[in-house]
Order: sequence, then C-alpha cells, then structure tokens
Amino acid sequence: MESIMNLMEGFGLALSPMNLLWVVVGCLLGTAVGVLPGLGSSMAVALLLPMTFALDPTGAFIMFAGVYFGGLFGDSTMAILMNTPGQASAIASTFEGHRMAKAGRAPQALATAAIGAFIGGMIGSIVVVFLAPALADFSANFGPQEFFALALFAFVATSSVVADSILKGLCSLIIGLGIAVVGIDQTSGAERFSFGVPQLFDGISLVTVTVAILALGEVFHIASRVRRDPTNRVIQAKGRPFLSGREFREALPAWLRGTGIGLPFGVIPAGGADVPTFVAYGLERQLDRRRKKPQFGKGAIRGLAAPEAAGNATTGTAMGALLSLGLPISATAAIMLAAFEQYGLQPGPLMFDRSPDLVWALLASFFIAMVVLLILNLPFAPLWAKLLAIPRPYLYAGITVFCGMGVYATSGSTFDLLMLLGIGLLGFALRRFGVPLAPLMIGMVLGPLFETSMRDALASSNQSYGVFVDGPIPVAIYALLALSLAISIVGRVRSKARKDT
Amino acid sequence: MSQSQPSAPSHPVGDAGSPAARGWWHGRSGLFLAAFMAAFSTYLLVGILTMAVPDGADAPGPQFVPLIITVAGYILAVLLAVHYIRTPEPAVTPTFTAEDDATEEERRAAEAAATVQYRTFSDWYAVGWSVAGFLAFALFLNVLGWILGAALLFWCVAHGIGSRRHLFVASLGLLLSSFIYLAFDVGLGLSLPSGLLGGVF
Repeated sequence: MESIMNLMEGFGLALSPMNLLWVVVGCLLGTAVGVLPGLGSSMAVALLLPMTFALDPTGAFIMFAGVYFGGLFGDSTMAILMNTPGQASAIASTFEGHRMAKAGRAPQALATAAIGAFIGGMIGSIVVVFLAPALADFSANFGPQEFFALALFAFVATSSVVADSILKGLCSLIIGLGIAVVGIDQTSGAERFSFGVPQLFDGISLVTVTVAILALGEVFHIASRVRRDPTNRVIQAKGRPFLSGREFREALPAWLRGTGIGLPFGVIPAGGADVPTFVAYGLERQLDRRRKKPQFGKGAIRGLAAPEAAGNATTGTAMGALLSLGLPISATAAIMLAAFEQYGLQPGPLMFDRSPDLVWALLASFFIAMVVLLILNLPFAPLWAKLLAIPRPYLYAGITVFCGMGVYATSGSTFDLLMLLGIGLLGFALRRFGVPLAPLMIGMVLGPLFETSMRDALASSNQSYGVFVDGPIPVAIYALLALSLAISIVGRVRSKARKDT
Repeated sequence: MSQSQPSAPSHPVGDAGSPAARGWWHGRSGLFLAAFMAAFSTYLLVGILTMAVPDGADAPGPQFVPLIITVAGYILAVLLAVHYIRTPEPAVTPTFTAEDDATEEERRAAEAAATVQYRTFSDWYAVGWSVAGFLAFALFLNVLGWILGAALLFWCVAHGIGSRRHLFVASLGLLLSSFIYLAFDVGLGLSLPSGLLGGVF
C-alpha cells in the first residue's frame, strides 16, 4: 500500500508540464532511432548522456526511460516492415512479424507488436513498483562479498552465457575492466596507468567511452559497409491498424505468456531482452505445433505477440534491478547507471531512502511512457517508416556531429575529442570482428564496484579468500551462475551436434 | 542464403576468390584483435611495474586487480591468435538478407553485386574520410569554432559515405551546426567554441 502512495506522489511529479515534455521527447527520440536502420536505443542513450548535464536528474532519467522503451517500439516497427532488427532483442519479432507484413497484414502486425510491448511494459512496471522496494530492503545489508558476487555474476553472464563466442565476450570484458582501472586509485591514492598525463588522473571518462564505443564506432562500422551491403525493401502498411476481436483473442494468451517469460529475465544479468524474446518465440512455436492448424511459418500472430511482450517486460523489470540493486543487465542499463553516477547518485539499496522523489517519479514515468508510446506507435507506425527517406550520408554525418558535440560539451578539451576518436576506432574494430560490446560497457561501469568490494572483503578478513563464500547469498549467487553456465554449455554442445548431422 | 540458390553458381568466382591467391593474411585480419589485447596488456603491465604505491596501503593493494586483468589479457591474446591462425574467416560474400521476398530482378542484381570482388572487407575510403574528418574537427575546433568545424565534419562523413552533392551537403552541414549552436549553446547553456566567427555573433 505504501508503494501505491509513493507511486501517486511520483505521478504528481512526473505529470508536471516540464517532466511530461521530457517523457514525450524521450519517446519520440527513442522511436525515431529505433526506426532508423543500424541505430538502437543504446546508441540513442549514449548520444543523450552528455546532454543530461543541462537537465535536472529527474528530467534526464524520465527522458532516458522514454528513449529506452521507445527504442524497443521502433525496433519492432522496422523488424516487421523491413526485416531489419535494430537490436538483437527485435530479431525474434522478424520471423513471424515480417511474414505477416508480406502476407498483407502489416497494420495488424504493427498493432500486435505495439499492444504486446504495451502489455509487457505495463505489467513489468507494476511488478517493479511492488518488488523493487522489497528488493532494495533485502539488499540493504549486502556487504562487500555480496556485491562482489553480483558483479562477478554480471561479468560472466554477459560475456559468456549470452555472447556468441566466449573468447570474444571475455576480450570485451577485459578491455572494459582495463579502462576502468585507469586513474587515481580511490582506496590507496596511487596514481595508476596515467603515466603523468594530467587528463588521465580522474580516469577515462565514462561519457567519452560510451559515445565512442556505442555511437562513433557504430558510425565507422556503418560507413565501412554501407555502400557494399544491399538494403532491404520496406513494405508499406496500408489500412487501419486495429485488430479484430478474433485476432485480439488469438494474441492475448501469447502476450501474457511472453510477459511471464520476460519478467524474471530483468533481474538476471543475462544480457537484456535478447534471451527472453527467443525463449518466448520458441515456446509459442512448440505450442503451435500441437494445434490442429499450425500457423507458424505463415505469419502467426502469436509468434510476434509473445516476443514483443517478453522484450518489454524484461526491460521493465531490468529498470527495477538497476534501481534497487544497482545491477545493469544490458549496455543501455549500464549507460543509465553511469548517468546516475554522473549526478552523484548511487543506485542500489540506499537510493529508495535517499532520493525517493527521483525514484518514484521515474517509476511513474514508465507508465506514462507506455501510454505515450502506444499512442505514438499504434496509429502512426507507417508514418515513422517515412524516416527512412532521410539519405544515409546525411543521417550518419549528423550522428557524427552529435558525437563530437556531446563529448566536447562535457569536457571542453581537444584531448577528450582525440580520445573519443581513438576509442571509436577500437569500437569499430570490435564491431568488425564480431566482438560483443555489452560486456565492455558492463565491465567498465561495474569495474570499480568489483575492485573495491573485492579489496574491502579481503582487507576485512585478513586476506582470507574464504570470505567470498561466507554467507548464504554469495553462495546462492555462485550456484545460480554455475547453473546458467552449465545450461549454456549444454545448449552450445547440442546445437553443434545438430549442425554436424 | 543466396549462395544456396540454384542460379548462384552461374556466376563463377575467379581465381581471385580462392584463398591461396589472396595471400596468407586474407581472412586472418582478426589477428589485429590479438595484437591489440597483447598491446593493451603490456600497457597495463608497464603501468603496474612503474606504479608508485603509497606507504601503508591496505593489502591487496592497487596493483592486485590490474594484475589479474593483465594476465587474463595475455591469455586471451594467445587464444585469439591461435583461433585466427587455425581457422581464418571465410571470404564473406554480401548476403541479400531479405532474399525470400525479392523479385527475380532484384535477386539477380544482388547476386551480381555479390560477385564483385573487393580487395578488403571494409570500405576504407568511407572510413578514411570519416576518421580524417573527425581528426580535423578535433584538432581545429578551437580555431575554426563550432559552426565551421562541425560543418566540416558533416561534409567529410557525408562525402565518405557517398554523397556527391558537395555544395548542398556543405550548406546542410552549416545549417545543422548553426542549429545545434543555437539550441545547445544559446538555449541549453552548453559551451561550444565560437572561434573565427566569434566576432559575428
């Protein structure tokens, strides 16, 4: 009940004209970058990160939430109309969604996706409102060994369980951790890896790395391929974007099942919404095979409804995990954690006590964002597809200018611009060789927590390594980690065996 | 996959496509990753060895975690090198990702495009223009000022990606950079350099 009271106060703040404006701006921006080819919500949040310095924290995070959810809506529009997923989490939607569009049911497919994303996001947000304060209370007495276990879990899960190649995932993680240790050591005051360069005393700026890896490197990567890869055609959606009663009843169970699958994944650091969307798609296909007239392969509405709901449900609960545990599960969540730190806020157990206004206004803005996005996307999805008319050279040139602006505006130095270029080239190389970028972001953002909790734990126990398995919570986290590693290894071996036969 | 289409083999790939004709390095450019990991680990190792640790720092000291990262970095560099030497990447043919809803005409065009042999996987002309544009932007921003510097950056990237309407792109770039200057410097109060045009505004 207390949660509801707090949420009502949050609505009071979030519905102020200025904050409402930021929600709408965030939703518009998020949908736009989601629709544009090659751009996802992580790039949008990366480009916006420097600009938040001109906003108050509440407005900034409300806008981020709009961008984060809006990116998911926009991605699915392109997945359906163009068979081009903007992020990995929209891949599962392309299978049946694009088939529906080809079969002349593009408006229905768009509506199914928008309503599914709405239902998943709404239920996810409701769960967060009731669960996040409890989770924060639970984690309030976490010591260094618990945080060490959580950080280690996030590292191993994102670099090994989710990544296609464990080797490349670990490389990405190690680069991120290496970037995080540059600068003056907070515990001892030792100057580390700066080699006397004063600009490195405070470490390499999170903003610079984020913009370099997720935006500038991405532009270089697109530039390297854009004139060589053929583009896909866009299917025009004509007709009223509404579902008939029969279609609605057909999709409803899939929406709910997808939401159910997506919810727990927000709290498990398994790389965001990619895994649950595939799990939801797979489940619907299994169920479909048992029906009298299987629909899959011909544009099954359920094959689109379930992953859409799952993706947004995961994103919703992921925000809960970020706020109450300080645990990011995807690159976008890692950037938001970095943004909190820029404002001197520490997401985690204390956040609900120290800045309740911000937290509850942010949670309330999730609900507002869902409604705004449904309005923006349900009737207007075909209009968004018109954004594709922007010629690509101008689009990517504009993004490059925004990269330069963001970093220069926060640092005001040529050094940081050159650093941006260098790390951007590294990001390009990583993309070129198929190295996942999320482990790098998570390694960089959680690196300091990982290091300080490890050293605190060892210092308080007189160098006894037994401290890391002292207590039921760390042991439970390691057990969960071992379990998810085992499942992923079994899955890999099986899929290899299937390929060989 | 377009290469599994029956009509695909009708476009014979010449000798230039066979791995032997392309030299040992072809498909092994991923060794760059291994070299980068080794270089990055060496940077950390030199830093650890030359670090001045203040007296009285609690053990484990500031070198402990970086040492773990360094060792892991070297191991990964070796594993990556072994991976790319043993299994070079196959020559990548551009795939027509939406091949199943393409018309015959489009499919033929895509397959013709797929037989064009590029010497490198990446379009270094486009990347080169983008990188050079950004380098010039970074170095001359304070002299040129935001409006001219950003317009130059815009022009270089657009040119690299393939726009050939030079004057139009230049004016578009100026329009965008002026708009950003007005919105973010004058409007939101971020500080962008005025440079050469400082006297005008």
